Amino acid sequence: MSAARSENPAGAALAADTFRAEGWYKLRRLLGSWQGLTGMVLVTLFLVSAIFAPLLAPYDPNTLDIPARLSGPTWQHIAGTDQLGRDTFSRVLYGGRVALYVATIGITVSMIFGLLFGMLAGYGPPWLDNILLLLFDVIRSFPTIIIGLAAVALLGPSLNLILAIVIVTTIPAYARLVRTSTMALRNTEFVIAERSLGVTLGGILWRHILPNVIGPMFILAAMDVPVVVTVEAGLSFLGLGVLPPTASWGSILNEGYLLIRQTPWPIVAGGIPLVLTTLGFTFLGEALRDIFDPRLGKGR
Amino acid sequence: MAPLLQIRNLDVVFDTDRGPVRALRDVSFDVPRGKIVGVVGESGSGKSTVIWSVARLLSGNGRIVDGTILFDGRDLCDLAEPALRDFRGRQASIVFQDPMTSQIPVKSYRQQILDILYRNREQSRSQKIGHALAMMRRVGIPDPEQRIDQFPHQFSGGMRQRMGIAMALLMKPQLLMADEPTTALDVTMEAQIIHLLRSLQAEMRITIILVSHNLGLVAELCDEVVVMYAGEVVERGPIGAVYARPAHPYTQALIKSDPARLTERGRYLPTIPGDLPDLRLTHAGCIFAGRCPKAFDRCHHEKPAAHALADGHDARCHLLDPEQAAARALPASVTAPSPQHGAMPDNSGTQVSEPDALIRVRDLRVSFPGRGGLASLLPGGQPATIDVLVDVNLDLRPGETLGLVGESGSGKTTLGRCILGLVPASSGSITFRGRELTRLSEREFRPLRENMAMMFQDPVGSLSPRQSVRALMVEPLDVHRPKGFDRDAAALKLADMVNLPRELLSRYPHQLSGGQARRVGVARALALEPDLIIADEPTAGLDVSIQGEVLNLMRDLQIAHNLTYLIISHNLPVVRHISGRLAIIYLGRIVEQGDCETIFRRPAHPYTEALVNGIPQPDPEHRRTLISIEGEVPSVAVRPRGCEFHARCRYAQPRCREEPPAETILSDGRTICCHFPLTD
Repeated sequence: MSAARSENPAGAALAADTFRAEGWYKLRRLLGSWQGLTGMVLVTLFLVSAIFAPLLAPYDPNTLDIPARLSGPTWQHIAGTDQLGRDTFSRVLYGGRVALYVATIGITVSMIFGLLFGMLAGYGPPWLDNILLLLFDVIRSFPTIIIGLAAVALLGPSLNLILAIVIVTTIPAYARLVRTSTMALRNTEFVIAERSLGVTLGGILWRHILPNVIGPMFILAAMDVPVVVTVEAGLSFLGLGVLPPTASWGSILNEGYLLIRQTPWPIVAGGIPLVLTTLGFTFLGEALRDIFDPRLGKGR
Repeated sequence: MAPLLQIRNLDVVFDTDRGPVRALRDVSFDVPRGKIVGVVGESGSGKSTVIWSVARLLSGNGRIVDGTILFDGRDLCDLAEPALRDFRGRQASIVFQDPMTSQIPVKSYRQQILDILYRNREQSRSQKIGHALAMMRRVGIPDPEQRIDQFPHQFSGGMRQRMGIAMALLMKPQLLMADEPTTALDVTMEAQIIHLLRSLQAEMRITIILVSHNLGLVAELCDEVVVMYAGEVVERGPIGAVYARPAHPYTQALIKSDPARLTERGRYLPTIPGDLPDLRLTHAGCIFAGRCPKAFDRCHHEKPAAHALADGHDARCHLLDPEQAAARALPASVTAPSPQHGAMPDNSGTQVSEPDALIRVRDLRVSFPGRGGLASLLPGGQPATIDVLVDVNLDLRPGETLGLVGESGSGKTTLGRCILGLVPASSGSITFRGRELTRLSEREFRPLRENMAMMFQDPVGSLSPRQSVRALMVEPLDVHRPKGFDRDAAALKLADMVNLPRELLSRYPHQLSGGQARRVGVARALALEPDLIIADEPTAGLDVSIQGEVLNLMRDLQIAHNLTYLIISHNLPVVRHISGRLAIIYLGRIVEQGDCETIFRRPAHPYTEALVNGIPQPDPEHRRTLISIEGEVPSVAVRPRGCEFHARCRYAQPRCREEPPAETILSDGRTICCHFPLTD
């Protein structure tokens, strides 16, 4: 905070500088709070470890080291090995790739569709709103894992199926959020002002509604990443997700669960990244919300 | 007798993320017992902060750094929380600006009153209620026995404010602090509240601090006045002396720029150029020096001391320093009207034949669906539709300015939006240059929008928040002439046209002041060089000094571009200043229409008379004694039978209750809806 102030020396140009520095100021505030900093560190760790897994991993995730099977942490295998002697640390790193893949694509696609449906429901005629709402509520009334079980039972386990399930079940939450914000905006003076200029429906939605509803979406998305990662891990744990031998945090946990009487290490190694990722994204989301949503600020 | 409240050298600082803001600096004034003291200033002057400091209810980041607030000889700054609570309830209470947000929405008034009277342990519940009922009756709430069990949302705005005053007075405090008590109310209701406060003060011998930006209101009510600017007291004294002989250049400018003072039309309004100083910085000289037309060297380096004047008031200005005065003659006036600007184009006298009217509205009716369905069939239920506008006839001639005046809920905004096709008409016709608008689809309407633009009420709120000023200003061009223009050049040209500093082009709406945002709104309206501009409350939410700038700008642009204005407002002084013709709307019906000056001089409709008499004049010598109008605007959902105004009309006859008056034309060309016009 003190750094922020020293950047703004008292002077006539203060106002203009402050406006330009707005972004930096917010970033500094984000990193200034312990929540934001912890969140950023953990999220960066997750992203880097997943993206650079091939470079960071000491072994190929599927290489067997039979003599060292079921070992605890050693200098060769810092997180131990499983019953086939595969290096757990490498598998955790590669498992992060699966989590990242599902989270990135799942959240992005759900956001796009959520925005689209939400804005249509919020700005469109009441009958369209009602149809879309009914659809959202039908989807939301199914527990995610149960849909997953049913879909996998019908179509067989696959990563893309998990992705599809994640997307379908996440869209309603986003669309609901966008719909509410859109409805609040549609009768504001600036939207009426745009209408009075003759701006087309698409123009109003794209240029004037979208930028105002997308902010809260990003915060929700940040907090949703752990949910998606957990769904993937959960389905993989149940054996309904990624197929062996692909490593995923869920499948590592599942294998560890079978070996729990012999060694605790796979469980520990598969559990820690899940916990850290969840914490990281939740903290980041909370910190972002504190900064960008002034309504929650500490006022009078 | 010692003053009830003595504020001495009060310094208040708000700690913000971007540095400490010194909101009040060296504020000192007295509040004598049994007097009404007005604290006047524009937004950002710190006038509300004064009363929050007295109540010790500053927001979390605010703190009193220095100074004393002596109440009855006790320093409030030293009081601990329990003693403070006692002070707030028993000795001082506050009337808020917006009663809707300051009264608890989920509790009935009975409960809220009992919550206030918890201190009177010796009183029984029924005694408390009896006391409350008497107080409600005193502030003019009819049927208090029934209404005490109602909730805030069941009261109208004026009644809610009366209730706020009643609750503030329940504990019989010595000091009542009113923060803009009438700003949220209509003109007629404002006059009633002024009258009420004055009579209560006389009756209960209570001391009142009134915080307001409205010079007229302060002149009507107060005995003494404190003028604040940017957190400092610049002038104070007895009301008559300050208003008659303002000594500080800021006070002079403030009084001069109040449109209510100017009765002649079309004069160039005096303004105070410049912006409030940044209160995060320390200012060595006079705080007003940056905007002062008479500032000289010394003003920028040395803080002026308070100089007492002969008539008992004092002001902080170097010009009043006896030594200085010897060196410089004291100029009498501030900004003289610029001579290069001519009078407003005025073709209200010329009769324009029918086809020439730019906009013709005939028998327009706009209805919104009410409860609808089964509920409307039940006895006593609301009708299925609510008529917001009924039988509106209006002509707008090219180049003229028509003022549309009415209280809130009168349908004036709806009429403006209906002309632009933003609200569908139920029946009747609107033509623009002879072309029927009411049944056009949006696609057919779009090309016409080039010729008609609207300025919206909220200067900042009507700008899309995530668009830069540049994008907002060229947007009309983007929409209607997407090809063949240079965006940057167009933006610069528009910025220059409305005198908006060019460096603001890359900012976003929330980074603009109200006046700057209003200029962006004007630029957007003008970008396509339309023929018609509908301005909805063009000066709402703007300070007096900015109001003048906006009105002058609109006037200049009208001359330059031969614009036709439809000005929608509840602010009669402003409308009088700019309009050639006037239409008065009441409950969705235009009750009087005609030449502006004639209407102001000799109102023909009793409602118009009440409105004209309801304007508080910034002249303490001419206080009104009578309340011009009783009661409040009825709901459009249950229109009165007969003449819609009869229940509030001083001149109502039996015929008015039975038979709705037809539109008639008076000998001077005015149209009026009244059985018994006051003239002719």
